[in-house]
Formats: sequence, C-alpha cells, structure tokens
Amino acid sequence: MLGLGADRLRADMNRLLALLFHQGVLDEQFLQLQQLQDETSPNFVSEVVNIYFHESEKLLRNLRGLLMDREFSDYKKMGIHLNQFMGSSSSIGAKRVRNVCVAFRAASEQNNRAGCLRALELVEHEYCYLKNKLHELFQLEQQRVLAAGVRYPIQN
Amino acid sequence: MAALLKVPPQSSGVTNGSCKADVVVSDQFPAGLRVLVVDDDVTCLRILEQMLRRCLYHVTTCSQATIALNILREKKGCFDIVLSDVHMPDMDGYKLLEHVGLEMDLPVIMMSADGRTSAVMRGIRHGACDYLIKPIREEELKNIWQHVVRKKWNENKEHEHSGSLEDNDRHKRGGEDAEYASSVNEGAEGILKGQKKRRDSKEEDDGELENEDPSTSKKPRVVWSVELHQQFVSAVNQLGIDKAVPKRILELMNVPGLTRENVASHLQKFRLYLKRLSGVAQQQGGIPNSFCGPVESNVKLGSLGRFDIQALAASGQIPPQTLAALQAELLGRPTSNLVLPAMDQPALLQASLQGPKCIPVEHGVAFGQPLVKCQTNISKHFPPTVVSTEDVPSGFGAWPSNSLGTVGTSGSLGGLSAQNNNILMDMLHQQQQQHQQQQQQQAVIPEPSRSINVQPSCLVVPSRTSASFQAANSPASVNQNCNFNRNAVIDYSLLTPQSNNSSLSVGQISDGDLKNTTVLGGFSAPGSISPSVSSCSVNAGNSTTRPVQNSTVTFATPRQLPGVVSNICDIQGSYGARSGEVLDQGLLRNLGFVGKGTSIPSRFAVDEPESPMSNLNNGKVYGENEGNRVKQEPNLDYMENARVGVPMLPHFTPNDLMSVFSD
Repeated sequence: MLGLGADRLRADMNRLLALLFHQGVLDEQFLQLQQLQDETSPNFVSEVVNIYFHESEKLLRNLRGLLMDREFSDYKKMGIHLNQFMGSSSSIGAKRVRNVCVAFRAASEQNNRAGCLRALELVEHEYCYLKNKLHELFQLEQQRVLAAGVRYPIQN
Repeated sequence: MAALLKVPPQSSGVTNGSCKADVVVSDQFPAGLRVLVVDDDVTCLRILEQMLRRCLYHVTTCSQATIALNILREKKGCFDIVLSDVHMPDMDGYKLLEHVGLEMDLPVIMMSADGRTSAVMRGIRHGACDYLIKPIREEELKNIWQHVVRKKWNENKEHEHSGSLEDNDRHKRGGEDAEYASSVNEGAEGILKGQKKRRDSKEEDDGELENEDPSTSKKPRVVWSVELHQQFVSAVNQLGIDKAVPKRILELMNVPGLTRENVASHLQKFRLYLKRLSGVAQQQGGIPNSFCGPVESNVKLGSLGRFDIQALAASGQIPPQTLAALQAELLGRPTSNLVLPAMDQPALLQASLQGPKCIPVEHGVAFGQPLVKCQTNISKHFPPTVVSTEDVPSGFGAWPSNSLGTVGTSGSLGGLSAQNNNILMDMLHQQQQQHQQQQQQQAVIPEPSRSINVQPSCLVVPSRTSASFQAANSPASVNQNCNFNRNAVIDYSLLTPQSNNSSLSVGQISDGDLKNTTVLGGFSAPGSISPSVSSCSVNAGNSTTRPVQNSTVTFATPRQLPGVVSNICDIQGSYGARSGEVLDQGLLRNLGFVGKGTSIPSRFAVDEPESPMSNLNNGKVYGENEGNRVKQEPNLDYMENARVGVPMLPHFTPNDLMSVFSD
C-alpha cells in the first residue's frame, strides 16, 4: 500500500521532470545536481535550489529596483547583478531563465532601458514558473519519501 | 537553516584551513588536491564545493575575494589551486588573480557565466590558467589538477635551467639525488619527485642548464623571493622606472643564474602592478579630504601627482610639508611638486602617521622607518605599491600568522599583520638607533616573513594589514612612548585574520595619536570596508585624540572611503584594542551607517545597523584565529545577524573597546 503510493509519486515526479525538460525549463545541468546528491549530502538538490531561490529573489529585487528608478543609469551595476543571476541559473540548470537573461544582458549593454524592463519582466515570469514547478517537484519528493519511508533506508 | 547550510564534516571534504592535507596528496594524487574556491554567488559556490568533493579534492570555499586572499596569505602552502569567479563585488577576480600570482604563485582558474570570446580573452591575458564557463560540469573540475602539475613542473624546470639561487645552493651542497628529491617535496606529488630525481641526476653542478633539456625547457620562472624582489626594485629605481630595461636591471642586480627573461617577465608584472596602482590612485584622487590625511596621503603616494596635497593640507589633517615629504619620500621621486621641508624621514613618517598632529619628531617613528627605508634603500621601491590601496590588501592580509619578527628580519614586503606590530615596535626602538634602514626596507609595514614576493607591502597596507596595525596601535597608544605592548601584537594578529581591512593601525608609534595610524606608512586602505573602519580607531589612548577619522579612509577601497571614514571617526579609537575581531564588530556596526551615499560593495551596503553583522557573516570573516574554519557558511544571508558565532567575533561593543583604551 505504502509502496504503491511511493511508486505513483515517483512516476508523477518523473513525468513532471520530463515535462520540464521538454519545455526547456530545465536542462541536463539539473541532472548533474541530482547526481551530486548522495549519502553525505542527502538533500543536496533542495538545499541548492533553496539557496538559488533566496539569492535570486534578492537579485531580481535589485534589478527591478534599479530599473524602476527614474534616474537609473548604472547599467554596469545592473550587468553585475545580471551576470550573477545568469551564473546561478545556469548552474542549477534553469535553461529558460538563463536564456532570457541573455536577452536582458544584450539590452543592458545597449543601455536600452525599455528593453531591459521588458526583459526583466520576462525573466521574472520565467523565474516564477520555474519556482512553482520546482516547489511542486520537491513536494512530490517529500511525499514520496514519506510514503516509502518504511521501505527506504533512513539516511543520516 | 543553519544546519542545512553547514557542510557536512567529512575528512575528505572541507578543509578548515588546516594544512594537514599534505600527507594525503602524494599517494592518491590528484585526490586530496587542496582547492580554494572564491565566488560571491552562493549557489554556485555550493555546487562547486559538492562537485569538487566528489572529485576527492579538499575544498575550501569563500564568498569574498578579500577574505580569500587573507586565507591564502595566512595559510601559505596550504592550497594547490584557486578557482575564482570573475565578477565579485569586493574585488575584481582578475585582481585577485594578480595578487595570487604575485604573492603565492598558485595556478588560478577563472570562472564566469560570461562565456563570450572577449571575456575569455581577458582571462587569458591576465594570466589565468584556465577559464571555465558556467554552468561548470563535474568533468571539467576533475581535470584541474593538470594545472597544478604543469606549474610545478615548469617551476622545477625553470629552477634548474635558470639556476636559481636556491637551486644553486642545493647543487653545491652536493646534490645528492635523494637529498635533493626529499628536500624538494613540493606538495609531495610523486610525479614531481620522480621528475626532480631525474633532473638531479642529469646535472651535477650549478646553474646553467641550457644543455639539459632544450626541448622541454620553457621560459624559466624564478621564484621571486622578497630579497630578490627588493634587489629588483632597487635596480629599477636606480634606472628609473621608465628607463628600466631587463638587461640593465639584470646587470644591476647581479644575481647569478638569473636570466634576462626572468627579469623581463617580472618587470612586466611589476609594470602592470604599478599601472594598477596609479589607476587606483587616480580614483582616489577624488576622495574627499575629510579622510584622514595621512592615510590619504599614503594612499596617494603611489600616484604621485594625484595626490591633492593641498587639499589634504587644507583639511588640516596633515601638515603640508609632511605630506609632501612623505609622498616624495615614499614615491622616491623628487619632491618637485611638493613643498618639502627637509624633514627627517622618520619625522616625516611619524608626522604622517600621526596625522593631524604632525609631530616632526623623531620619536621612534617606527613607521617612519620602514617608509624611510623604502625610499632610501629600495629607492622607493614600490612607490606605487605603497599606495595601492587596492592592491595592498592582498599583501597584507593574514599577517598575523607570521611570526612577529623584527622589522629587520621580516624582510618581507608589506604585511601589516601582527607581526608588523612587533616589527614596528622594534623599529621604533631601532629607529632610535637609526641605521636600521637597510634592513627595514621592507616596508613600512614590516611584514614578518611573509615572503610576499612582490608585494608592495611597503607602506601601503592593504586593508588587512591595517587591521593588524590597528590593533597594535591601540595598545601602543595607550602606553605612550614606544612601549609597544606585545599585546598589541597579539591583538593584531587576531585582528588581521579577521577583518580584512581592519584598521591599519600602524604600529603604534610611540607617542602621538595613532590616529592616523593608518598613516602608517601608507597603508592603504584595505580592500574591504570593514577592516578599514577599524583602523580608524587607532588612537584610543590619547585622550585628546582626535576622532579617528581618516585613518580608515585609506583602508577602504576608494569607493567606500567617504562614508566609512566618517563613521569611524565617531568611534573614538577604541578599536585598536583587542583583537581584530572586536574591530570588525565595531566597524561593522558602523558600517551600517556608512551605507548611504557611499559606494560600498553591495555586501556591505546596509541600511540598518544590524546588517553589518550579517554582512560580516557573509563575508565569512574569519573571526577567531586561524584555527577556525575557513569555510564559509554558505547561507549566512539567511541569518541575519544571528550567527555571529562561528568564527565570529566576540561581541565587543564599541564601548568595550573604548574601555580598553581608556587609561
């Protein structure tokens, strides 16, 4: 009974992952993250993703703050934030987010404020979508672990 | 949350800065390779750490470049390779690269999300061993050991080819292979050992090994020890930086076994360094005069001419003559544009150190000494170096770990660590006897044995050092006359590790206000803000002390100076006291105020008073003493302030500090 639940949950997870890969939301870098998870770091993926969310939200807030400022002119600073956001997004495999960041960077290098604003909106949109989906994934994982708790060895 | 972020303690995992990894390396190479990763992006940092651990490397992570430099300086020989991000808020990755290359000569791999050809080209031009584009895959990391090996082999080859001093000695010692091999246990890599053995057997006598292996010989790279670099600098100064050509420098240096190519490449690095310093100085030109004069002057020393002496003088910080003289002296240039009274060098230094008071006294201008020395002996060895606030930091970091030697002995360039304190103290004494100059070239900031190769340690004290000095100073000032507390030194050491830039409190020079301790001989502001802030507090002892003011200024990197300094001034010099930690704490708190209007690196830009603490955490201050883990807690961000704990400093309040000093 428990086992069935766990299996079903795992199937759901896989389906969700497949969808995300298909949509291009995630790429193989995310798989690398999963492979890095082991006994010594059993929650590695969720740990890293949570760090990513935390940092990204700060960065996005900064970016928005910068752009909303009517006297905004510091494209260089924006470029720095953006660069970091791109780096972390690509490191966890957030492919779509990273791609829109590339567009954002292009606009920023042309000092195109309107373009930057549009790009920022796209980034925020993609980021929200990613975040929701990953939350969903982690929830499924949690449930799966619970459901399979009896059978799977407890990891320290 | 804290637990979540903690790195699981594994033997093969994070190194807490200890060097006990040596033993492991040779057997299972490349397993056990000691890697230092620097990246302000915590996400990537965590991922890299995990990947590197999976490659069985010893990983130390750091989210701030300034702290990373500190770590590297403190734990010399404890790392094999450095991975650094290009874009970091407190220090440019390439700057870090240069420092590491000059001081520790470790291979540095750059990383960036920017994979465009231009960016990669920049990395190569700066001398990075490799350039990785994010997202980084584990396979790429598996191979980084090749850079370590390659570098070592080249060095070995170069040693043998160029017959570097050390090699010559060894050869003369009878060059037994076994002996040689064992003595050359660099990282204990079996491969290297084998190679060395082979080489040894090939050549028996010294030096010129051109016959040895032409096909494999690459451009020899000599290890530029402190002494060697000093000779180089004095030769350059003698010729004049513009006219210094490798051939003539080589002749002047008269070092057997040194080739023109060695000199040429070193000169190239040196020139870049100078250029950077002058660039920095330029930036600092705009710094308001409110900064402590001496400090400012020191900083600007490097960039002759940029220094707005008038402004400084006007601000009343430093007597014009002092500044001018100091600047001229330090820079080793004719004080053409300065009104230079014929002041005693020591006096000058002292005066500058004292800042406003400007007492042209000879009292143990301990600081002065180094400064003086620098200029006389080394003929302004590094004029630019002195100033390089930005550059210096690297030099001065982590001094404390070094032994507190006397100035004379330290011979190492720059390094304000606690050792400096001792050194300063010694200098002070020596000063009285004079004639120490020759030995004290090293720099105003006597740097204990740090053998920084090319560190401009001379006067400019990077933020780090300043911290140590600061500590040193405070005690000293309390004592007044040249009685350097040994405590100071100790504090200093504590200080330095932590606060990157903490107060430069230059060794307290017997009397006077340390206020401008930062003056110290031009210790330039440390890279990070916080440390510098601490430096301000130098003069705790003097009751009349003027507000610390400017001293810190120099420390802070140019961008941050203004705000920081003013804040610091408020804290009456209590800083110096205790350990650097305290300083940091206090400083950080103040930093909070600094937030507005100053261009503080994002990490430090805080609005609330509390934030400095969190920043501090973020910055992974080392807090404590070297024993603490180097590893940074990844998610310090999350805990706002809370975890002061980890290595962090004891919670000293400014009041505590003050009380220490109040006599």
